[in-house]
Amino acid sequence: MDLNPCMKHKAVRKAVRMFAEAEIAPIAHDIDRDARFPWEIVEKMKPLHFFGLQAPEDYGGAGMDTISYAIAIEEISRVSGAMGLCLTVHNGVAVYPIVRFGTEEQKNRLLPAMTRGDRIGAFCLTESNAGSDAGGVETTAIRDGKEYVINGTKIFVTNGGVCGVALIFALTDPQNPQRSAGVFIVEKESPGFSVGEKEDLCGMRANPVSSLVLDDCRVPETNLLGRSGNGIKIALETLDTGRIGIAAQALGLAQAAFEDSVRYAKERQQFKKPLSSFQSIQNYLADMATEIDAGRLLLYRACALKDAGRPFGAEAAMAKLYCSALATRVTNTAVQIHGGYGYSKEYGVERYFRDAKVTEIYEGTSEIQRLVISRAVLAQRT
Amino acid sequence: MLKLVVCIKQVPMVSELPWDPKTGNLQRDLAEGMMNPACRSALDAALRIKEAVGGEITAITMGPPMAEEVLREAIALGADRGVLLTDRKMAGADTSVTSHVLARAIEKNCPGFDLVLCGLATSDSETAQVGPQLAEELDIPGVTYVDELEIRDRTVRMQRIADYFLETLEMDLPGLVTVMAGRHAPRYVPLGGLQAAFAEADIVSLDAAAIGIDPERIGAKGSATKILNVFSPTEGKENIVLTGAPKRIVEQLFERFDDRIGSALGRDLKTDKRSS
Repeated sequence: MDLNPCMKHKAVRKAVRMFAEAEIAPIAHDIDRDARFPWEIVEKMKPLHFFGLQAPEDYGGAGMDTISYAIAIEEISRVSGAMGLCLTVHNGVAVYPIVRFGTEEQKNRLLPAMTRGDRIGAFCLTESNAGSDAGGVETTAIRDGKEYVINGTKIFVTNGGVCGVALIFALTDPQNPQRSAGVFIVEKESPGFSVGEKEDLCGMRANPVSSLVLDDCRVPETNLLGRSGNGIKIALETLDTGRIGIAAQALGLAQAAFEDSVRYAKERQQFKKPLSSFQSIQNYLADMATEIDAGRLLLYRACALKDAGRPFGAEAAMAKLYCSALATRVTNTAVQIHGGYGYSKEYGVERYFRDAKVTEIYEGTSEIQRLVISRAVLAQRT
Repeated sequence: MLKLVVCIKQVPMVSELPWDPKTGNLQRDLAEGMMNPACRSALDAALRIKEAVGGEITAITMGPPMAEEVLREAIALGADRGVLLTDRKMAGADTSVTSHVLARAIEKNCPGFDLVLCGLATSDSETAQVGPQLAEELDIPGVTYVDELEIRDRTVRMQRIADYFLETLEMDLPGLVTVMAGRHAPRYVPLGGLQAAFAEADIVSLDAAAIGIDPERIGAKGSATKILNVFSPTEGKENIVLTGAPKRIVEQLFERFDDRIGSALGRDLKTDKRSS
C-alpha cells in the first residue's frame, strides 16, 4: 500500500495549481462580490481540457483517472469554490452520465461541444417538492409521437444560468413514478426551455445557480438518456460520482482556509508574539491539518476504488460526508484564527466559510450520505 | 526536419530550501521539484519554432530519477521525446561537469541536432554557465541572453538583451542559445497532454555507462569546483532615527550610508573626502 502520491498526480496538482493561482486567484474575490460568472476564465480553461477531465479522448476529453480528477477539482476550489463547483457539476454529473449511459449517437452529438467547454452542463433533479426524495419529482415528460413534451420547474440548478445542456430528471408516467423516471437531454435552444430566476445564495456566488423552467418543452425521442424507466438508476450512479467531486471541492476550500490560517498565525502578533506561538492556535492548526489529511485519504480511496472498477458508492458517501463536514469546521476555525479580519471581506477566509456550508447540502445532504453509508454497513453480514 | 534539443533542469519549488549542512548541497529529495522558469522559456521558444516551421523537440535533463517529471511535463507541452540522464555517480556535478555530461549525451542521442536551447540560468544556482560551457563542449557557436528567436533556412536570427541594449544577431546552425525568462506568458500544461505524457510517452533513461562517459570525469569526483558553504540569508528591517542638528544628521547619514550614496552619485565619497 503506497499512500504517497505518484509522480503523475503530483504533476497534475502542480499544473492545475499554476493555472488556478495565476488566472483565477486574482479575480476570485471580485467574482464572488459581484456574483459574476467569469466567462474569460472559461475561455482560458477550454484548451487545457478542464471541461472534459474524465471524458475519453475520442470525445475530446483528457481521459483522466479519478484521483487526477479529484486533484484538479481540489486545486481549482482552493482558489475559487464557485469555479470548482462549475467544473465538478459539468464533468461529474453532466458529461459523466452521457459518457456512461448515452447512446453512441448522443455521445457523438453532445460530447465534443461539452468537452471543449462550448456547452456547459447541468444536472437537474431538485424541485420545490423534491430533493433528497427523488421520488417526489413532479416534472413530466409525456411522449407525443417522436417527441417528449416536458413540463415542470427545476430549482437550485448549479450552472443553471450558463448551461448549454441540461439533464432533466422527469417522469414519463406520473401515476407510476418509480418505474417511469427518465433523464432527458434538454439543450438551451429547445423550444419551451428557459432560465428562471438566479438564486441569491450565501456562498458560491460566482456560479449562476438558477431555476430552469420547462414549459411544453419539446425534445426528440433520441434525447432520452439510456432507457425509459432507468432514471433512478442513472441518478443514483451519477450522484455517487458527483459526491467524489463535491468532497474534492470541500477539501480544496478547507485547504485554502488552512493555508491562510497558518500564514496569518505566523504573521499576526498579539502580546508581542506571533499567534502561532500560542497553544490554543497550535491546537486549532493541528486539528485542521489532521482532518484535512483524513478527508483526503478517504476521498482518494473512493477514487481508487472507482478506477479499479469496484463498488465505491458507500466510500464516496463517506468521503463526501466527512470532507464537507471538515470543510465547514476548518473554514469556521480559520475565521476564528483571523479574528475580526476573518469576519471581514478583506480576507479570503470569509468567502471560504460561506462557500463551505453548501457542500454539506448539495449532491445529497449529510443526512442522505449517512443513509447511504448505513445501508452499506447493515447489508454486511455480522 | 529541424532537430531541436531543450536542456531542462528540475529545481526545488520552495523558497526555503532543505540544505545538507555537511556538504552544502541541496537535499533535492526533500523538496518538491518544478521546471526551472528559464528552461520553461527555452522550451517555449522551441515550441514556437516547431509551430512556425516544424521540427522535433528532444527534452533532456540530468538529475535524480524524480526529474523524469519535468520531461513528462515537457512532452505534455509539446516536446516529442524525453531523455533522462540519471546515475548516482553523476550527483554533485559542478557546471563544467554538467555541461560535459550533457554534451556527450546529446552527441550520442541527438546526432545531427540543429539547435540546442537552454534556460539562461537556474533559479537554484543562477550561474548561467551551463549553456556557454555546453556550446564549448559541443564545439558549436552559442549566444546567451536571447529574448526572441526565429529560424530562417539554416540560420537563427535572434534578439539578445545586452544590459540596456537590444542586439540583433544571426547564427548559423548548428548552434546553442540560452533563453531569458519572461518574454512570453508561460504556457499552461494541457491536462489531456499530461495524462498522455504519463500513459504513453517513453522516457529514455541513461546512466554514465550508457552514455559511455569516463566515470572519473563526472559527479562530485570529476568536479573542479566545490560548494563550500550555502546558507539562506535572513532579511531584516531596522528603523533608524537620526537626531541632532541638521548638519549632524547629514553627517550621520554619510557615516552610515556613504557607500550607497556614493554609488548612486557614481563617485567614491571616501576618495572625495580624502582629497578635499
